[in-house]
Amino acid sequence: MKEYNIMFTGVGGTGVLTAARILASAALAEGENVRMGEIHGMAQRGGAVNCTIRIGKSVHGPIIPTGKANLLLSVEPVEALRNVDRIMPSGTIIVGEYRITPTGVLLGRDKYPSDEAILQDLAKFAKVITFDAAKLAQEAGGILTMNTVLIGAIIGLNLIPIKEETVIAAIKEILPERYQAMNISAFEKGKKIQKRRLQSSGLG
Amino acid sequence: MDIAEVLTKGAAGKQYLLLGNEAIARGAIEAGLELAATYPGTPSSEIGDSLFRAVKQGNYFFEYCTNEKVAMEVAGAAAVANARSLVIMKHVGLNVASDAFMTLNYIGVRAGLVIVSADDPGCWSSQNEQDNRLYAMLGDTTMLEPADPQEAKDMTVAAFDLSEELEQPVLLRVTTRVSHTRSGVELGEIRPPRNNPNFERDPFRFVTVPTVARKRHPILLEKVKQATEISEKTPWNKIVGKGELGIITSGVSFNYVMEALETLQLKAAVFKIGMSYPLPKKKIQKFMASKEKVIVVEELKPYLENHARAFAQEKEIMVPILGKSQGYFSEIGEFTPRTVIEGVAKALGKAIPPEYVDVDNKISETLATAPPRPPILCAGCPHRATFYEIATATGRKGIYPTDIGCYTLVIQPPLEMADLLLCMGSSIGTSCGLTAVLDKPIVGAIGDSTFFHSGIPGLVNAVYNQHPVKIIVVDNHTTAMTGHQPHPGTGMTGMGVPGKQISIEAVARGVGVDYVKVIDPLQVKESIRAMREALAYDGPAVVISRSPCALLESARKRSANEPIIPYEVDPEKCQGCRVCTDKLGCAAAIWTGEHAAIEADLCSGCGVCAQICPYKAIHEGEANERV
Repeated sequence: MKEYNIMFTGVGGTGVLTAARILASAALAEGENVRMGEIHGMAQRGGAVNCTIRIGKSVHGPIIPTGKANLLLSVEPVEALRNVDRIMPSGTIIVGEYRITPTGVLLGRDKYPSDEAILQDLAKFAKVITFDAAKLAQEAGGILTMNTVLIGAIIGLNLIPIKEETVIAAIKEILPERYQAMNISAFEKGKKIQKRRLQSSGLG
Repeated sequence: MDIAEVLTKGAAGKQYLLLGNEAIARGAIEAGLELAATYPGTPSSEIGDSLFRAVKQGNYFFEYCTNEKVAMEVAGAAAVANARSLVIMKHVGLNVASDAFMTLNYIGVRAGLVIVSADDPGCWSSQNEQDNRLYAMLGDTTMLEPADPQEAKDMTVAAFDLSEELEQPVLLRVTTRVSHTRSGVELGEIRPPRNNPNFERDPFRFVTVPTVARKRHPILLEKVKQATEISEKTPWNKIVGKGELGIITSGVSFNYVMEALETLQLKAAVFKIGMSYPLPKKKIQKFMASKEKVIVVEELKPYLENHARAFAQEKEIMVPILGKSQGYFSEIGEFTPRTVIEGVAKALGKAIPPEYVDVDNKISETLATAPPRPPILCAGCPHRATFYEIATATGRKGIYPTDIGCYTLVIQPPLEMADLLLCMGSSIGTSCGLTAVLDKPIVGAIGDSTFFHSGIPGLVNAVYNQHPVKIIVVDNHTTAMTGHQPHPGTGMTGMGVPGKQISIEAVARGVGVDYVKVIDPLQVKESIRAMREALAYDGPAVVISRSPCALLESARKRSANEPIIPYEVDPEKCQGCRVCTDKLGCAAAIWTGEHAAIEADLCSGCGVCAQICPYKAIHEGEANERV
């Protein structure tokens, strides 16, 4: 593969890093050159975080240049917005409709934009697919499997050049045993809902 | 395979997905590590933590030290006593350790000593973004600078070899984007440790009284000459590609340069400096003399650039050297592929990719609508309760020097209880300074690990000079911000065995603080009462606000199968007064528009919001099965 870039964004403490590691590990298992950029320390405490996964021969550093991400994944709408400069016009933005209200908004100092406004802004950059990832995660066994739902969705949509079985193997390799079953269930749910959406909306 | 297994049993020749920091830990083990010492600090922490996890399977001694200076002394002495040693710290940690560091270069070592400095361009988790390459110049310390996790591992091994060849410490300087990049890393063979510790007495080398120091300085400069010869030949200083254009770069910037060349479709010879002190002067001069133009690409200080200019002047090489001095690159923040693409394009008078302009126009409007999301204290964090109590007890009329740790996050609304911060341990010293010149309550806050790190000398100063400072030690029984490392107050050691637990209250009393009180911040009324008492006390006072880190407490409950009982709001009783939101602002609290509500999935069940609710509208809910 020449180059494939994924921007995985969200809120510190919601499992973004672990989910990104699953994808990076799967890509390495398929013999690809991989760079993953992580955020640790102070930035992780409930703040905006992003992880980058870069796959392919021409990849050197961990940071995705402006307009070079093939995929932008976020369960949190505003966090997708914050990083949308990375997506390429032919890329895909996937957003789980799970709002996490920043403190400034709770205190009335900042405003959280409406869903419509966010979607409109995102759509200026690339194709957008949204769905209720939180609901599927809850059904799978817990809200923290939201990011695994997104991984299922991109596999279901055939959006990344990594095989499904490699991703499942990576889930088993990276997650502790007691969380594996619910994450595989989350993965399956993400995979299916996307297929249904695709058919009904005529996308792709 | 968990990290402990990869570090100690990972197969040579096989690739593993490793974080740069994990790769450094493996590199040290491959080099026959015998002792490692650290004080945790982002972005360096995972090096020590990986060694901590693997310590039972490994053949080395590992310790978390009270601070970086002590760690430097521990590892330095071990290397003098012929044991291969590693000492790990973040960039500002080297400030703390700098006294020991400077003179270690004078005495040198007998076995390899590698000093890791993890710098933080962009201040992701730091109070400044100083460029520690200048410490290599200051200390005449040989320095290696990896660009990615594979090099981080390989250079760690090379650094041990260099250190033994020169009998000098070697600095391995990494940055956040090397430490926190994960990639495939091919492992090498693990060498057995030398296992020959031996302190051979040589006081006229190792005891730096002035007569010895004067003798050692020229020896050190001879070592620099020897290292320069190595630098001229080492494959770590290599030229990649060909062209009339020359680019000189080091560390993570090398990656961005390669991407920039591809994006701008440029042909260039890239001088990738891996051994960046002492620099290969002749090789750089030869390189520059053969080029039409030279661009220097490096984060932070113009370290390579200034050297390149001096080298060119010496040989009367007239090539234009383009970099920070003409404004093509910034001294501020970390680079991205884009900043390098734009800098190189500007330096050459080429157009920047046109799509950037389009994206910039769209993103500026979009970003304006995105509310900021700074890091905050976790739901149920006891620090939130402590600072609510300090705010209440002082009526917000005090000044609140703070320190380095999670609790610094109270700078954010709604608490906004941080007024002054310099460095680890500064809360107590700055409190002394403020009480000396102001007639106001001065309430300094310091964490438990930070207290042991460098708070104690400040406290001794407060007692000795009788500053009536009020010091709140926020004791959550861990080094939380950097990833929950143990410290002297926890009693667990880096070998994973119980050591001796040191009592903060005994230390405070021992240095002469007469007012010392321990509170549980989750008991709001009692805590406020104790703080008022401390404020009224005529003299230095210490209040230890003790409650475990909410993350650790939740993890403990999960593994013990204890239920977590979240609180809930009774919408009938809630009057919408917003006290819980506006004064406490817990991460689990939400606002429906008319009344408060609590996210059961996030609530840790600390009960602080229920205690401060004027209408008693918050109560325990049902036990929660938590993932």
